[in-house]
Amino acid sequence: MESGIFHTTYEKDMALRRTPVMRWRIILALTAVLIFPFLADGYQLTLANQIGIAAIGAIGLNILTGFTGQISLGQGAFMAVGAYSAGLLMTRMGLPWWLTIPIACVITAVVGALFGIPSLRLKGLYLAIATLAAQQIIEWLITHWTGLTGGVEALVLPSPKLFGIRLNTDFNFYWVILLFLIITIIFAVNLFRTKIGRAFIAIRDQDIAAEVMGVNIFRYKLLAFATSSFFVGLSGALLAHYRGIVNYERFTIETSIFYLAVVIIGGLGSVSGSIYGAIFMTLLPAVLTNIGRALGDTMPGLAGVLPFVQQAVFGITIILFLVFEPEGIAKIWRDIKDYFRLWPFSY
Amino acid sequence: MSKFPKKSLLFLMLALAAILALAACGGDNGGGDSIKVGAIFDLTGPTADVGTPYADGIRAYIKWANENGGIEGRQIDLVSADYAYKVDQAEQLYSQYTAQDNVVVFQGWGTGDTEALRGRIADDAVPFMSASYSAALKDPGEAPYNFMIGTTYSDQCIIAVQWAMEQTGGTPTVALLHHDSPFGLSPYEDCQAFGASKGVTVIEIPMPGGATDFTAELTQVQDAGADFIVIQNVSSPAATLVKDVARLGLDTQVVCLNWCTDELFISLAGDAAEGVVGASPFAFPSGDAAGLKEISDFAAKNEDDFGVHYIQGWTTMSVMAEGIRQVIVNGDEVTGPNIRAALEGLSNFDTGGITIPLTFSGSDHAGNKALRLSQVEGGQWVEFTDYIEAGK
Repeated sequence: MESGIFHTTYEKDMALRRTPVMRWRIILALTAVLIFPFLADGYQLTLANQIGIAAIGAIGLNILTGFTGQISLGQGAFMAVGAYSAGLLMTRMGLPWWLTIPIACVITAVVGALFGIPSLRLKGLYLAIATLAAQQIIEWLITHWTGLTGGVEALVLPSPKLFGIRLNTDFNFYWVILLFLIITIIFAVNLFRTKIGRAFIAIRDQDIAAEVMGVNIFRYKLLAFATSSFFVGLSGALLAHYRGIVNYERFTIETSIFYLAVVIIGGLGSVSGSIYGAIFMTLLPAVLTNIGRALGDTMPGLAGVLPFVQQAVFGITIILFLVFEPEGIAKIWRDIKDYFRLWPFSY
Repeated sequence: MSKFPKKSLLFLMLALAAILALAACGGDNGGGDSIKVGAIFDLTGPTADVGTPYADGIRAYIKWANENGGIEGRQIDLVSADYAYKVDQAEQLYSQYTAQDNVVVFQGWGTGDTEALRGRIADDAVPFMSASYSAALKDPGEAPYNFMIGTTYSDQCIIAVQWAMEQTGGTPTVALLHHDSPFGLSPYEDCQAFGASKGVTVIEIPMPGGATDFTAELTQVQDAGADFIVIQNVSSPAATLVKDVARLGLDTQVVCLNWCTDELFISLAGDAAEGVVGASPFAFPSGDAAGLKEISDFAAKNEDDFGVHYIQGWTTMSVMAEGIRQVIVNGDEVTGPNIRAALEGLSNFDTGGITIPLTFSGSDHAGNKALRLSQVEGGQWVEFTDYIEAGK
């Protein structure tokens, strides 16, 4: 009977998938996401696409906040940079949609690194305020630099096409998002097996100790901001192409807080946690609405107060999560796995 | 290690998953003959103050119609939910209602979500009405399934400028104080262009969201030497603004566009509201329009608040119902494209005097071209002009 996992070589210890069960789980998950769109209707596809985009953005934020320990309240603004870059490159410069995505990512990475400069001197709450400033400055620029962004007017993008097929339908864009999500996951998971990723984690755990060990803090902090913003920009660009319309109202401070909630609930410093968090935070309001609808049908008297109850339940669920499992869904999932590994003879 | 909370959490998650599965399967009710209408309302978000009575109006019309035999004998089946003014939520609900409930028409609300959805609306061919009267939505080339029941914000602002010119007999300076969003800035471009053609200066000053004091903005108004303030915002901030105008002792005339021309504005602003002019595309509850009676009777019966936004919601839904009715009368199938064609065929459609007769066409989806101006007198909106059309 198994009493734990023991590795006898370094190769095994450093492998991404350390046990056959892990490999099977990944194959199972991949099969599920490949079959899903053929079984799902438009509503479920919309939810899946929102989850996919949120997951990419959350992985981006988690690289910065969860792995490097730099809190950011500028997530919404960085997504806006990605979305507007993709939109403007397409409408103003006539670039094909697939080319606008990597360029938008690079632009966002540069902007992110720029606003990451204060992180050299600022930590914790002070950095939070500095990134909040980034959010405000970028939002202000978008709404007031009318010549470039069109101001508060919505920016309308032509539909992305591949071999004459329109991509921005729920079904077709599912594959685009899935492709980029898989690339993001593979990159992020591997990042933390490299020297750079280890440096990020060292900075998070103790920045002074990291510097003593020879980690160039300034360089790596900026790199963390750039890498994180790259993926945040990706999620913004995908959102722009998916919806075909960009408006600053989508990228306010509320978005930044939403993503912080995603990574905290999912699990700080966990790539899979970011995905769980994205699933949870996207589905929770949908589930509550559907419960409300089912209840409203049976108890018409309740209909008047339901929207308020839903808002309250949303908040309470998040609080309960944080109280009972501050390490997020990723930790819960780990506990469940540990429990069943030894089941039914746990000790 | 505490074992308890984890087990209960596991249970919670399983319960959530089960409920989701149940909820996803449900949602198929109502007879095959009923007409499915989807709607999103803001009942808890930042515009809930005006969104709630509007939603009540839409629901009330549907209830009233169903009690009176439905549309040509077919019941209306409304699926709706609160979306708290969040675009993501609007997208979720819209795709749920179109994909799972097969709604044929949709009632929206805000400018942001209506614009975000308009491409999808065109793809799905779902006739869509919302409470956003942004002129960007009136062009069927860009938004082929969006219809507008209210006078566009641009036209409202132009009418306000025309009135300001009449008052001064010259070329006044007009300050547009607006909600800092696409909704707020929507009338500026057209209004400014109209003003420029008449020698009137129109400037725009954003009202920051959540502000409790507009002294800084009013100082800008004074510095610009503006004689008139036009407010494109909802009732609560508009009331704060006119209170500040009174407090600072400015003699600038304030004109509200339709989202602050309501009862709430007067009750919030109190004495400061006296003399404020409002643009009203819809009749007030106190009016004498023939169509008001059935609404007020129904509201009284159901103990609903009978206000101008209630009337607005009711009327919007009634125009949609008229489009559907014509499709049924013609013996056609009730589909999005057929309803669109029927709505585009509406010419001088009488809303019982609540608005001017509405005319839509294949090239213009802004059916309402004129409004009346009213003024607050003794805590009441009193209409003091006949219907005015922009540019005339």
